[in-house]
Amino acid sequence: MTALWRKVRVLFSTRFAEMVEYRAEVVIWMLSGTLSLVMMLVWMGQAASAPDGRINGYTPAEFASYFLGVWVTGQLLVVWVAWELDMEVRQGTLSPKLLRPLDPMWEHYAAHVAERVVRLPAMLGLVALFAWLAGASFSTDPLNYLAAFGLAMLGFSARFLWEYCLGLLAFWTESSSSFGEVVWLVYAALGGMFAPLAFYPQWVQNIAVWTPFPYMLGLPAQLLAGKASLADAGRGALVLGAWLIVFWFVRLAVWRLGLRKYGAVGA
Amino acid sequence: MTRYLRLMRLFTGATLSAQLEYRANFLGAILASLGEVGVALLGIGVLFGQPGTETVGGWTFREALLVTGFFMLTEGVISVFIQPNMSKIAEAVRTGSMDFTLLKPLDAQFGVSTRHLNVLRVGDLLIGLGLIAYAASGLTVTGGGLAGAAVLYLSAVVIVYCIWLALSTTAFWFVKTQNASELFNGVFGAARFPVTAFPVPVRALLTFVVPVALITTVPAQALTGTLTPALALASPLVAGAAFVLTRLFWLRAVASYTSASS
Repeated sequence: MTALWRKVRVLFSTRFAEMVEYRAEVVIWMLSGTLSLVMMLVWMGQAASAPDGRINGYTPAEFASYFLGVWVTGQLLVVWVAWELDMEVRQGTLSPKLLRPLDPMWEHYAAHVAERVVRLPAMLGLVALFAWLAGASFSTDPLNYLAAFGLAMLGFSARFLWEYCLGLLAFWTESSSSFGEVVWLVYAALGGMFAPLAFYPQWVQNIAVWTPFPYMLGLPAQLLAGKASLADAGRGALVLGAWLIVFWFVRLAVWRLGLRKYGAVGA
Repeated sequence: MTRYLRLMRLFTGATLSAQLEYRANFLGAILASLGEVGVALLGIGVLFGQPGTETVGGWTFREALLVTGFFMLTEGVISVFIQPNMSKIAEAVRTGSMDFTLLKPLDAQFGVSTRHLNVLRVGDLLIGLGLIAYAASGLTVTGGGLAGAAVLYLSAVVIVYCIWLALSTTAFWFVKTQNASELFNGVFGAARFPVTAFPVPVRALLTFVVPVALITTVPAQALTGTLTPALALASPLVAGAAFVLTRLFWLRAVASYTSASS
C-alpha cells in the first residue's frame, strides 16, 4: 500500500510541477474552447428576441446558466492524451517508458489531474466574470455541486480512456487525430454543447440516453443550474460507470494489440 | 510581377509533390473537414429546429446557411493557404532558418506567405463553396450582389491574412506563437453565425474590436442585398489599413531579427 501511495505521490507532484510551468498556456487553452460560449450568446439573443422572451421555456438568464455550466464542466473534461500518444508512438519516445514497471497510462492520467488543479483558480475567476456579465445564476444546494463534480470526474475518466484508445490508433495509422475530431463532434453534440438535450428531436434523445455523453457534460451543467435532481445524477452515474468499465477493457485490448504491432523507429 | 507569379507556380509545384508523398493522410483530412462542417451545420440546425423559430438574428435559414458557407470557405482558406505558412514562421525564427528566406533575392514577406500549401484541406474550400451555392440557389441574388460579395470576400481574406501574419510575426520577439492562433480560432468560432444573432454589446465587439463580422456576415449580406453602404465601404478600408500596418510591423520585426546563434 505504501509503495502504491508513493508512486501516486511522485507521479502527481512531478506532473504538477510540469503543469505549473505551463500556467500561461493553460489559461490560453481555456479561452480557445469557445463553442459553448458562442452558443450561449446566440441562444440568449434568440430568447431575447422571442415574443414571450423564452425559447422552449428558457429565458436568456437560464441559457446563460446552462451554457456556463457546460463551459465549466467542459473545462474539467479536457483531455489531450491522444495527441501525446500520437507523438510518442511516431517518434519512438514510447520505448523507454515501456521498460518501466508501470503502465504509461498512469503518468498521463496524473498529468491531466494535475492540470485540473492549475486550471481551477483561473477557471473560477473567469466563470464568475462571465456569470456576472451574462446574468447567470447557479444552484444554492451544495449537494448539487458535489454531484456535478462527481459526474465530471467519472466523465473525465471515461473520456480519458476513449481518447487513449484513439491515441493508440497511431500504432496503425498516421491520422489518428482526425478520428478524434469526429468523436469530439459526437461528444459535443450529444453532450449538449450546442443546446440542452431536450432541444433535439426525440429520436436523437432516445439514442443519446444510452451513450455516456449527456451525463458527463449536459447533466452536470443542469445540476449546476439547479434544473436536475440528485436522482437524475444517480442514474447518470450508473450509466457512466458502466461505460467506464467498457472503456477500461477496450483500452486494455487496444493497448495489447498495439504493442504487438509496435516497432520503434529504426526497428 | 511576372517573376512573383512564376515563383508562386514553382512553390505550388514543390509543395504539391511533397504532399502527394503522404497520400494516406487524405482520409484523415476528409474526416477533419467533415467534423468541421458538422459543427457548423449542427449549430444552425439546432437553432432553426426549434418550433416557431423562423429567423435567427433576422436571418432566414437559407441566409444563415450563406454565413455558414462563408465560414467554411474561410476555414478552408486558412487551412490551405494561410496556416501552413504562418505556423512555420515561429519555427524558422527559433531554428534560425529564417536566414535563408531573408537572403533570397525576393520580398521576405512574400516568401514566408506563399511557400507552402496544404492541399489536403481543399475539401473545406469545396464544402464552403457548395454551401454558398446551395443557399444562394434558394434566394434571389443579383449580378451586382454577386460582384459585391466577391470583392468584399476578397477583403475579408486580406483581413484574415493580416491578423494571422501579425500574430505570427510576434514570433520574432516571443518565439512561441501557436497560442496566439489558438486564441484567434476561439474568437473566429463566432463567425459561424450572422453577427446580428448576438446580443448587442457582443455585436459591437465582433464588428469593431475583432472584425469577425466583416469576414462572414458582410459578404453574405452583399449576396442577399441587405448590406448598408457604410459596412460595404468599411470592409475594404479596414483590409487596406490592416495590410499597410502589418507590412510595417513585419518590416520592423525583420529589422530586429538577429538570427538564432547571436
